Amino acid sequence: MAEHEQTADTLPDPARLAIFDSLVSSIADEMGATLRHTALSPNIKERADFSCAVFDAAGQLLAQAAHIPVHLGAMPESVRAVAHLAPWRAGDLAILNDPFLGGTHLPDVTMVSPVFAEGIAEPIGYVASRAHQADIGGMAPGSMPVAEELIQEGLVIPPLRLYRGGELVSEALELILRNVRTPDERRGDFAAQVAAQRLGERRIAALHDELGESAWTRHTAALLDHGERAARAALRELPQGRWAFEDALDDDGHTEEPVPIRVELTLEGGGAHFDFSGSAPQRAASINAVAPVTRSACYYVIRCLLPAETPTNAGLFRPISFTLPSGSVVAANPPVAVAAGNVETSQRIVDCVWGAFAQILPERMPAASSGTMNNLTAGGTDPRTGGPWAYYETSGGGLGGGPSGAGLNAAHSHMTNTLNTPAEALELAYPLRVLENSIRRGSGGAGLRRGGDGLVRRTAFLGDARVTLITERRSGQAWGVNGGGDGSPGANWLETRDSSGEASLERLPGKVVISVRAGDAVRLETPGGGGWGSAPSAE
Amino acid sequence: MTERRLLGVDVGGTFTDFVYVEGGRTRIAKRPSTPSDPGRAIVDGLLELGWTPSDVVHGSTVATNTLLTRTGARTALITTRGFRDTLEIGRQARPDLYALHPTRPEPLVPAELRFEVGERIAADGEVIEPLDEAALADVLDEIEASGVRSAAICFLFSFVNPAHEQRAAAAARARGLSVSASHEVLPQHREYERSSTTVANAYLAPVMSSYLNGLERTLSERAAGGGAVSLRIMQSNGGSLSAAGAGEQAVRTVLSGPAGGVAGAFAAALAAGYEQAITFDMGGTSADVSLCPGRLLERTDLMIDGMPIRTPAVDVHTVGAGGGSIAWFDAGGALRVGPQSAGADPGPAAYGRGEAPTVTDAHAVLGRLRPEQRLGGTIALDPQRAERALRTIAGPFGGDPLVAAAAVIDVVNANMARALRVISVERGRDPARFTLVAFGGAGPLHACDLAEALGIPAVVIPPSPGVLSASGMLSADVTRDTERGVHLTIAAEGGAEIGALAEVYEALEEQALAAIGEDGYGAEARIEYAADLRYQGQSHELTVGLAGYGSAAAIREAFQAAHEERFGFRDEGRGVELVTARVKARAAGDEPTAGIEGERSAGAEMEHEVMWDDRRATRFIERGGLTRQVEGPAVITQVDATTLVPPGWRAGPLESGALLLERV
Repeated sequence: MAEHEQTADTLPDPARLAIFDSLVSSIADEMGATLRHTALSPNIKERADFSCAVFDAAGQLLAQAAHIPVHLGAMPESVRAVAHLAPWRAGDLAILNDPFLGGTHLPDVTMVSPVFAEGIAEPIGYVASRAHQADIGGMAPGSMPVAEELIQEGLVIPPLRLYRGGELVSEALELILRNVRTPDERRGDFAAQVAAQRLGERRIAALHDELGESAWTRHTAALLDHGERAARAALRELPQGRWAFEDALDDDGHTEEPVPIRVELTLEGGGAHFDFSGSAPQRAASINAVAPVTRSACYYVIRCLLPAETPTNAGLFRPISFTLPSGSVVAANPPVAVAAGNVETSQRIVDCVWGAFAQILPERMPAASSGTMNNLTAGGTDPRTGGPWAYYETSGGGLGGGPSGAGLNAAHSHMTNTLNTPAEALELAYPLRVLENSIRRGSGGAGLRRGGDGLVRRTAFLGDARVTLITERRSGQAWGVNGGGDGSPGANWLETRDSSGEASLERLPGKVVISVRAGDAVRLETPGGGGWGSAPSAE
Repeated sequence: MTERRLLGVDVGGTFTDFVYVEGGRTRIAKRPSTPSDPGRAIVDGLLELGWTPSDVVHGSTVATNTLLTRTGARTALITTRGFRDTLEIGRQARPDLYALHPTRPEPLVPAELRFEVGERIAADGEVIEPLDEAALADVLDEIEASGVRSAAICFLFSFVNPAHEQRAAAAARARGLSVSASHEVLPQHREYERSSTTVANAYLAPVMSSYLNGLERTLSERAAGGGAVSLRIMQSNGGSLSAAGAGEQAVRTVLSGPAGGVAGAFAAALAAGYEQAITFDMGGTSADVSLCPGRLLERTDLMIDGMPIRTPAVDVHTVGAGGGSIAWFDAGGALRVGPQSAGADPGPAAYGRGEAPTVTDAHAVLGRLRPEQRLGGTIALDPQRAERALRTIAGPFGGDPLVAAAAVIDVVNANMARALRVISVERGRDPARFTLVAFGGAGPLHACDLAEALGIPAVVIPPSPGVLSASGMLSADVTRDTERGVHLTIAAEGGAEIGALAEVYEALEEQALAAIGEDGYGAEARIEYAADLRYQGQSHELTVGLAGYGSAAAIREAFQAAHEERFGFRDEGRGVELVTARVKARAAGDEPTAGIEGERSAGAEMEHEVMWDDRRATRFIERGGLTRQVEGPAVITQVDATTLVPPGWRAGPLESGALLLERV
C-alpha cells in the first residue's frame, strides 16, 4: 500500500477525496442539466453539444461535465483566457468565442465567472460553460461555411465582460445579437448559459462555505494530485518508447492537395509527449485546428485508455505534454478559418494518435473509424411558410473493427456523439423529405473483425436551397490494422431530374457549396470503418 | 358476492414475495424463485401456505428478462421503403463516449427479417405514395415461409395517418400472424423510438400471453379454492392491468417490479400521512430512488439494454450502490464503493463465502449488524470475517478496520446522496419538504444518514420493508393509458385551433374507458388528461396533467407553470406545442394493506457497543416489540431489514404499522 502513504495527515483521506470529487463533479453535472434543459436550440438540448466545468482559485480545472470530447482540451484554458480582465468583482461574467483567444470554433460560445466567498477578496474558484450556438453570423447559416478567413465564419467575440457586478452590459449583448441570424434563439440560449453559471457559482460558494477556506484549498490540491497519480499509474503500465504515425485530410476544400498530419508519441516515466512537427502548414481554408482542439483529440484518446472512474481534472493532464508547430493545421494562427478544424481535422488528429497507439497496443486498439462527421448544412426560404430556415446535420459512419468484435455500423465516432434528427421530426420542421436512411452494406473493411458499415442518407428538398457539405474520407480511407482491410471511402451525390423526368446523378466533391432546386436530393454515402486482423481465407 | 381474497406477488431474481389479505388479516411470505418457470414458485407457494386468492396482482420480471436474455418470439418487421435499417441505426450515437471499442446490443429483429414495402405518408398525413399491396403480399409470403409468427409494422407518419398500417396489419392478421402495429402501440413521432417500442411489444406479446394464460389457468384450477382467479399485472407506470391487456401490451410491463416498490412506498407514505415522498430502495447491488410529489411521477424515455421503450414508467433513478457493493482504491488512491457488487454469490464476506470488503461488511465491523441476525433467517453473520475483509483496505486509514468501515459507509452514502440530489435539487425540488421512505434489505440502514445529508426532516420505514413491492402491487390503482401524437401549436397570443384536439381527447377517452371496462373496472373508473408539451423550438417535452382540454389558454398556462417549476423560468413570448395527447382511465385498487402481521415476537431488547461517531452503548430492539418512541442510538431489527436510529434521531411506531424516524 506504498502509494497511499503520501496521504499525509494534513490531506483529506481517501474517502474524503472520493466524496469531494463526487461533490464538485455533481456541481458540473448540475450546471450541465440546467443548461441542457433551459436552452432553446436543438444543438444544445438534443445533441448535448456543450460542456460545463469548475475551477480552483488558480484557474485549474477541478471537474468537467463533458458531453462532447472536443471540449476536453479547451475547457481547462477558459480561465486563463479571461485572466487579463482581472480584477474581478462578484457578479462579473465574461463571454468569448475567439478561437485564437481561448475558443475552439466560433459557434462554441464560452462563459466564465469568478466565485467569491465571504471575507475573501480574491475569487476562490471559477465556473465555465461552453455551448455550440446554432448560428453566430458569418457568410452561411449555421456559421460553418467553406471559408478562407476566420472573419468570414461569423462574429468574433474576444474575452469581454457580459455582466459587471451582476449588471448586464447590454451594449455588448445587443452588439452580439445584431450580428447573428436568429437573435431570439441566441438570447434564450445565452440566458440558459448564464443560468448555469449562476447556479455553479452558488453551489461552489456553498461548498467552500461548508469546508472553510483552508480545507477547500487542501481538498482542491489533493484532488488534482489524485488525478495526476491516476493518469501516471495508467500511463506507466503502457509499453515505454517512441512511435510515429502519419495520416492526411483529403483536401482543404479549395485545392485538391491532401493535408498531412504527423505525430510522434513518446511514452516515458509515466508521461506522454505528443510532437506534431512535420504536420502541414495552415491553409487559407477552414480545416485549420487551433491548439486546444489538437490537445482535446489527444486527451480523448488517453481518456479512452484510462479506467472509467478516472476524474477529468487538471491533474489528469499534468503528465501530458505537446510540441505543436505554430502556424500549422494543428496549431493555427490568425487570420485563417477554423470551423472544419473543430469537426473534421480533430477526427484526423485522433486517427494519427490512434495509429500510434495501435502500434503500441496491437491487441487492444481497434482499427480506424470513419474519420468524418459528414457535415451537411442547408437553408433557404420555406415554401410552406415563406419564412427562412436553416438546418445542420452530422451523420455517422462505420467504426473500426476491434479485438472483441466487428465495428459498429452507422454510428458516430471519437470526437462527436450527437444524435441524428428523426425523419418525422425533420419533415415537420423543414421543407425536406428523407428518402432513405440505411446501412451501406459492405462498406466496412474486411478482416477477422470487420469494420462497421457506413450510412446511405438521401434527403430531398421541397424548395430551392443552398447546401454546404464538409465531409472527409472521400478519397482517403479508414485504415485497417493487424492485416485488416481499409473501409470504403465515402461519396457525395446530387440527384436531379430534368423537365422530362429523366433522373441523373452527379458526383459532388467532399467540401462544396451548391444551389439545389425543389425536387433535387443529396445522397450521402458515408465511409466504412477499418477491419481488424486478417480475414479468414476463403476456402 | 363472496369476500375477495387478495394476493400481491412479486417475482424477483432470488425470492418470490407474497402478501395475502383475507378477512381483514394481512400475511406475508417469501419463497425462493423458480427462474425457469416463474409461475411454479407462485402456485407451489400458495399450495404450501394454504392460501386461496380470488384476485391476484402480479409483478413480473418475465418481460424484462425476456428482453435481456433475448428469449422472446422470433419477430419480423415491416417498414416504409428506405427505412428497414432504422431499427439498427437508432440515433447513431454510441452508448459510452470513451469506450475504446464501442458496442451496442443486437437489434431484436435481425436484418434478414426486416422488410420494406413501397408506401409514403407526408408529415401532414397526405398519402404521397400509395401502399404497394402486391409487395406487401410478397413480404407476408416471405414471413410465412420463414416460420416467424409475430410481426411488427412501423410506417413513417402512421401516428398522423394510420391507413397504410391498418391495411397492412389486417392483411398480416389474416395470415394468422400476431401483429403489433406502431400506431396502436405508440402513436407518437420519432420513427426509431416508435419502431423499437413496437418491435419489443411484438417480441414479448406471444411470450407474455402464454405465460399469463397458463398462470391464470393453473391458479384457477389448483390454488383458488374453487372459482376463477382474476389476474392483474403491474405495469411499468405503477398501475395494474388485466392479464389479457398485458398479453396485448406486453411492453408496458417491462419495469413491473421497481414500479411495485415505488407504488408500495408511496402508499406507505400516504398511510403515514405524508403526501410528499422520496422513495429509497436499497438492495444488494443497486439503489433506486424516486420522487413522489403527491403522486407517482412517470417518464417516457426508458432504455432497456440499449433499446428505447417509450411507454410510461415510474421515474426511478438507479445507482450501483447496495449492501454487496465492493470497496476498492482507484489508480489515484481514492476510495471507491461499487458499482461492482459481490451480489448473492459469493456475497459479502460476512456471509461466509466472499473475500472482498462490502458495505454490509462495514456495517458488521461497526457493530450495527450482529452475528445473531440471520440473512433471510438462515445464514448467520460472521463479523470476524467481515473485519478481515476490511483490513485489506485499512492501510491508508491507519490500519484500523473501524475507520475503514466508517469510510466505506461515508462513500456509499455520498454516492446515494448524489442520486437523491439528481431527482430533487436538480429538478427544482427542495428535499427538506419531502419525507424519505426507505425499504429493501439495506435501505433502512442508510435512511437517516441520507436524510441528514439532504436536510430531510423525517423518514418512514414501511411495516415489512423486504416485501414492499408485493404489497404495493395490491394497493396500486388499475389503469389503462392511451395516447396519440398531435403536433398542435398554441401561439403566445392564444386562440389556437383546438377543435381538433377535443376530437382526439374524446376518442382517447372512449378507448381508455372501453379497455378498463374489459378489465372489469368500467363502473368506478375516472379519467385523467395529460399532454406532452414544449416551447416551440425545444426538442424535449414535459408531460403535464390537465384539468381538461377545452381551453388553449389553460393548457398553455399549465405547461408554463410546469416549466417554471422544473427549470426555473417561463417564456411568455413563445408558442407552445402540444406534441402528444394522453388519457388515463384509473380505478382505485384494493384496500391498502395496513396492519401487516409482523413477527410479534417477545420483543427482546439487548445492549451492544456500536461505532457511531464514537463508540456508544446501543439498544437493539426487535421491531415487533417496539411500542413507543425510542431515542437513538438504537438498532431496530426484523427478519427482512435492520433500521439504524443514529444519535440525534428518534423512532416510534405509527398507526399504519410503519416506523417514523425524526431528528430530535
